[in-house]
Amino acid sequence: MRALEIKSLTFSYDDGTLALKDLSLSVDQGEKVAIVGPNGAGKSTLLHLIAGFRTPFQGDVLVDGLRLELSTADDVRKRLGLLFQDPDDQVFMPTVEEDVAFGPRNLKLDDVEGRAMKAMRSTGTDRLAKRRPHRLSYGMKKRVAIAGILAMDPEILLLDEPTSGLDPKSRAELISFLKGMKRTMLIATHDLDAAAEIADRLVILNISPVAEGTMKELVSKKGLLEGAGLEIPQIAKLFESIRDIGYSVEWVPVTLDQAAAEFQRTVERERRRDRPNR
Amino acid sequence: MIVAHVRGYRVKAEALDEHAQASWLHRIDPRAKLVGILGFVIVCALMTNSVLIFSSLVFSILFAALSQIPGKHLVKAYLGALPFILIASVSVFAFSGPERGLDMWGRTSACVVPLLVLASGTETYDLFSGLRRLHVPALITTLLMLTYKYLLLMSEELARMSVARRARGFRPAKSLLDRYGLSVLSYTAGMIFVRSSDRGERSYEGLRARGFRKEFPFWGGSRIDVPDISFMAVFLVLSTALAALQLGVVL
Amino acid sequence: MHIPDGLMDPVVALIGWAEFTMVIGVTLFILRNRIKERDLPRVAVLSAGIFVAQMLNFPIGGGTTGHLIGGALFAIMAGPLLAMVGMTVILLIQALMFGDGGITALGLNALNMAIIAPLSGWGIYTMLNQISFGNRKSDASRTKSFWDSIPVACSAWASVFLAACACAAELSVSYAISGGRYGIAAPVSIPTVLGYHAVIGVGEAAITVGILAYINSVASKSPSRTSGDDKTAIRLGRTEPSKTIWAAVAILVVFALALPLYFVYASEGRDGLEQTMDNANVQEGSPVLTAPFSYGENYFAALFMGMVGFVVVALLCTGMMRLLGRGNSPE
Repeated sequence: MRALEIKSLTFSYDDGTLALKDLSLSVDQGEKVAIVGPNGAGKSTLLHLIAGFRTPFQGDVLVDGLRLELSTADDVRKRLGLLFQDPDDQVFMPTVEEDVAFGPRNLKLDDVEGRAMKAMRSTGTDRLAKRRPHRLSYGMKKRVAIAGILAMDPEILLLDEPTSGLDPKSRAELISFLKGMKRTMLIATHDLDAAAEIADRLVILNISPVAEGTMKELVSKKGLLEGAGLEIPQIAKLFESIRDIGYSVEWVPVTLDQAAAEFQRTVERERRRDRPNR
Repeated sequence: MIVAHVRGYRVKAEALDEHAQASWLHRIDPRAKLVGILGFVIVCALMTNSVLIFSSLVFSILFAALSQIPGKHLVKAYLGALPFILIASVSVFAFSGPERGLDMWGRTSACVVPLLVLASGTETYDLFSGLRRLHVPALITTLLMLTYKYLLLMSEELARMSVARRARGFRPAKSLLDRYGLSVLSYTAGMIFVRSSDRGERSYEGLRARGFRKEFPFWGGSRIDVPDISFMAVFLVLSTALAALQLGVVL
Repeated sequence: MHIPDGLMDPVVALIGWAEFTMVIGVTLFILRNRIKERDLPRVAVLSAGIFVAQMLNFPIGGGTTGHLIGGALFAIMAGPLLAMVGMTVILLIQALMFGDGGITALGLNALNMAIIAPLSGWGIYTMLNQISFGNRKSDASRTKSFWDSIPVACSAWASVFLAACACAAELSVSYAISGGRYGIAAPVSIPTVLGYHAVIGVGEAAITVGILAYINSVASKSPSRTSGDDKTAIRLGRTEPSKTIWAAVAILVVFALALPLYFVYASEGRDGLEQTMDNANVQEGSPVLTAPFSYGENYFAALFMGMVGFVVVALLCTGMMRLLGRGNSPE
C-alpha cells in the first residue's frame, strides 16, 4: 500500500481561481518527495488539502489507503504531521515541553511524556523544555514545531517551506536533520538546493504538474527548471560555468556530496590530460 | 505580550506569566486557588464594618507579600485597577463623608489585591483549565484560551502599527470633533481585525493539525495534594471567621 | 464601566449574577447545537479584537478620554448569541487577569456590557435596518452609503447608553437599600454616569461605523475563503427581515431585566432611603437629600415609559413596513 496516492486532483478557491489542476502523485513508504514551484503554484495549498483543510475538491486522495473526505478528515490527520510555514501558527502552549506534548495529548496516545521527551531530544530542544516558545529564535521555534509533530509519530510528514526564514547555520542543520530521518516526507519548497539535498524525487508544480524526476534528470533537461520560473541549484550552476570555461566536467552534480566527488574526478581527468603518457 | 491600556495604565500580561514561575503559588492546583481566593474575595465584598474592612485589607496585603511575586509588578497591576476604585471611593467620600469613603476604598482594594496575586501566580493555561475543572462550560473556557492566544498576537500587531503610525507623524485625536483622528483610530482597529482574522484561521488550523477538537486537554495531574488542601483551608478559615464576625456585627 | 468588587450591595450583585447566569445559560443552550467548530476561532478573534479595541483611548474633550465597549459591534458582526458569549469572555479575561472589574461584580458587569449592550445594539440595528433611509441599496451590495451608517450609529450609541442606564440604576439601588454603605447615591450617579456615557456613546458610534466601513471595504477585495458559506471571515451575522420580531424580543428582554431591581428597590429601598435621610441631617457637609427619593421613582417610571413607548414604536414600524411592502430582500 502506498503511503500517499493522489489521482487527478483539481481544486479551486471560493472565488473561482484555480489552485490545482489534474495533479496525480504517488509516494511510497519512506520516500521523500519535494514539490517545487514558484510562488502561487499551489504547493502550500496542496499540503493543506492533503491534511483535510481544503474541501471540496475533485479527484482522489488516499493517505495510507484511507480515502480523504470531510468525514474522514480527522482520521487522516492522525496519520499526518503538517508543519506550517510560520511556527507561530502552530506553537501554542506556554512552555516548550507542554507544546510538544500537545499533539499526543490531543490524540490520546500512550506515554505522552515519553514521546515528547524523545521528540525533543531528536530535535535538540530538550534543554529548552521549560522555556517559553515565543521567546525563542525563529530557528528554535521551528525546531519546537517539528518536535511537536514528531511526537505524534505520524506516518507522513508534510513540510511547508521548512527552510524559509532560517539563518544559514540553522538551515544547514535542518537539511541534514531531514536528510537523516527515515520517514515518508512531502516537502513543499522553492529552496531548490535544499530540495536537491533532501529529496529522492522532485515534482515541479505550477498549478498543474510540469515535470517529475530526480534532480539530476531535471537539471539535465535544459531550460526545464528555468521555464517553470525556478533557478537550478547553485552547485549545478557552478559546475556548468566550470564546464563552459573548458574543464572536463562530465555530469553536473546537484548536491554537495556529488559536487565533491565530481570535482575530484574532474581534477583527475585534467591531470591525466596534462600528462597523457602517465 | 499583552500591553493593556487599562484606563491609561500599561500592564504587560506576559509579565504575569513570567512571575508565575517564580512563586510557590504556581505549584498549587488551580482549583484550590480559585476556590480559596474567590471565596475570600466574596467575603471581603460583604464587609461593612470599618474594622473588618481594615483587617481584610491587611490579610490581602499579607497574602501578596508572602506570595513571592515581585512587589513592583503587583503595585503596577494595582495602579492599573485603581482608577475606577478611585471614582467610586471619591464620590462616596464626597457624598457620604470620609469614613464611608475610606470604607469603600478599603473594601474594593481588599477585593482586588488577592485577584491580582492569583492572576500573577498562575499560568494562564492553568487558570482556564482550573475553571473548566470547576465545571465552567467548555465553550467558554475554550474561547478563553483561544482569545488569550489571539490577544498576544494582536497586541503585537497593535504595538507595531502604533509605532508605524507615529513614525509617519500621526498625532492622536484631540477631541470627538477631530474626525481625522477618529477615523484613523477606527481604521487601525479595522485593520487589526482583518489581519488577525487571517492569522486566527491559520492558527486554528495549526491546532486542528495536532488533533485539537472542541476542547483543550487537561495538563498535569488531577490530584489534590496536601499543599493544595492547606492553601484552601487557610483561606476558608479566614473567610469564615470574617463572615461570622460581620454577621455578628450586623445582628 | 467595569465595576469593581465591593462597590455594589450584595443583593444587587446577587441579582446581577442570577440574571446573567440565566441569560447566558439559555444562550449556551441554544448555541450548543448551532455552533460549528469553525466558528470558534472567529468568535475568539472577534473577542480578542474587541478587547484590543476597548483599550484604544479616544478623547472626549476637556482632557478626559473614553473607551469603546464594543457590544453593538460584536452583535452586528456575529449575531446576538455569539456576541453575548464573546463579550462575556472578554470580561472574564479582564476580571481574572487584570483585575479590571471584580468577580462578585462580574454578574453585573456582564449584565451591562455582555448582555444589555449587545442585545439592545443588535435589536435596534436590526429594526432600523428594515427602514429605508434615502436611497439605501440592499445589504447584498457592499457599497456603504451615509444612510447605511445610521442604524449602526444609533445602535452603537444606544447600546452604550442603555448599559449606562443599567449601571446607574444598580448604583442608585445599591445605595438606597444599603443605607449608603454600598453604591453611589442617585443624585450623583445618575447624572454623571448617564451624562458621561451619552458622550462616550458618540465616540462609540463613530468608531463602530468606521470599523465596519473599513472591514466591509477590505472584505470586498479580500482573497477567497476556503469555506463555502461565509462571504467574509468575520461577518457572521444574518440580518433577515424575519429577525425583526427577535429584535423586538431582545430589546424587551433588556427592559425586563430591570424588573427585579425595581422590585428590590420598591420593597427595601424606600426604608433605606428614609433611613439615609435621617442620617443625612446628622452628617456634615452633605447636600440636601430630597432629590434621591423622587429621582428613584422618576427613574424607574422613565424606564418603564421607555419600554411601553418602544413597544408602540416597534409595532408601528412593523405595521408600516407591511403597508409599504419590502423592496429590499437580502440574499
